[in-house]
Amino acid sequence: MKSLKKKLESSFSDIKINITDDSRITVNIKKDAVVSILNFLKNLGYEHLALISCIDWIEENEFELVYILSAYMEKDQEYNEKEKKTILVKTRISREESKFITVINIFENAEPYERELHELFGINFEGHPRLTPLFLERDYKIPPFRKDFDTRKYVKDVFDKIPSIEERKK
Amino acid sequence: MDRNQLKKWFESPAKMGHKYSLHVVYFCTGCGIIEIPPSITARWDAERFGVIPVATPRQANLFLITGYVSVKTLKAVIRTYEQMPEPKFTVGFGSCPINGGMYWDSYNTIKHLDKYIPIDGWIAGCMPRPEAIFIAVTHLWTLIDKEMADGYKKYKENYRYYRANQEQLYGKLDWPPLFSEEDKK
Repeated sequence: MKSLKKKLESSFSDIKINITDDSRITVNIKKDAVVSILNFLKNLGYEHLALISCIDWIEENEFELVYILSAYMEKDQEYNEKEKKTILVKTRISREESKFITVINIFENAEPYERELHELFGINFEGHPRLTPLFLERDYKIPPFRKDFDTRKYVKDVFDKIPSIEERKK
Repeated sequence: MDRNQLKKWFESPAKMGHKYSLHVVYFCTGCGIIEIPPSITARWDAERFGVIPVATPRQANLFLITGYVSVKTLKAVIRTYEQMPEPKFTVGFGSCPINGGMYWDSYNTIKHLDKYIPIDGWIAGCMPRPEAIFIAVTHLWTLIDKEMADGYKKYKENYRYYRANQEQLYGKLDWPPLFSEEDKK
């Protein structure tokens, strides 16, 4: 764990590393370095991208992207079955621009995750081959997972305005 | 066979036939579908009540809507319902189809399912136990006896209004109306 921290600190500048518990490392990094750190970790053996997640920090006007990585195989010298490690690579992007670069060329399975984030948070991943709708059927003016999306108002405007059959008959 | 029911069998054999052969369409929405495997298999054995799941809506006459219906699922629900042959009965299962349940302020869940398709009965609860399905089935028998389970007739009569509600939600539906206005005349 600690040697991995040293390895990362020596290869990247402007990096903040937290060892949250025995099996989890949080890496905070600037957005320009995300692609290179993902490549670096992949070469160390962290080949499994479990999820890309997003947090909407509306007061700071930023989105936080979280790349969750873990290892399948014993490539890293430190790795053993008992202490499986999860690495969370976190980065902040601007909320107004809300665009980022795709990581499909590093992890192929990032494709549906990025599509999902595009749909639910409105983040534009540059270089993604098809940012088409995934789950949602209707068009939303504000993507529904953003904090400024008012679900109650939306329900009142859409679902509650549809009359029951008895009302419609009149 | 119950001898007391012999009179009913002679009077209206078709109705009694419908009562005791409820074929459920295998359609899973939401979390309630987890109650269906124990109800149809040996533990609770729905076949005692003549309830049996079938593969396609063309062979079914009972539609159990087992949980929350998202906006995308509602399209499939409507199309499945329209494909079922008459007479057909629908039962909303769990509290989510009734009024949204715990998803009452969700952006993507249908709140009142009976605005879009007719529902003959509801089973409240989150989740209802398999026993509740059988209570609903016996209630449905009484409704069929009294000719009150007539949701499919209402759907035919008020198809315009149902279609208008569906179109208000989706904008434009990608299939033509089931009955045109000329058919009625």
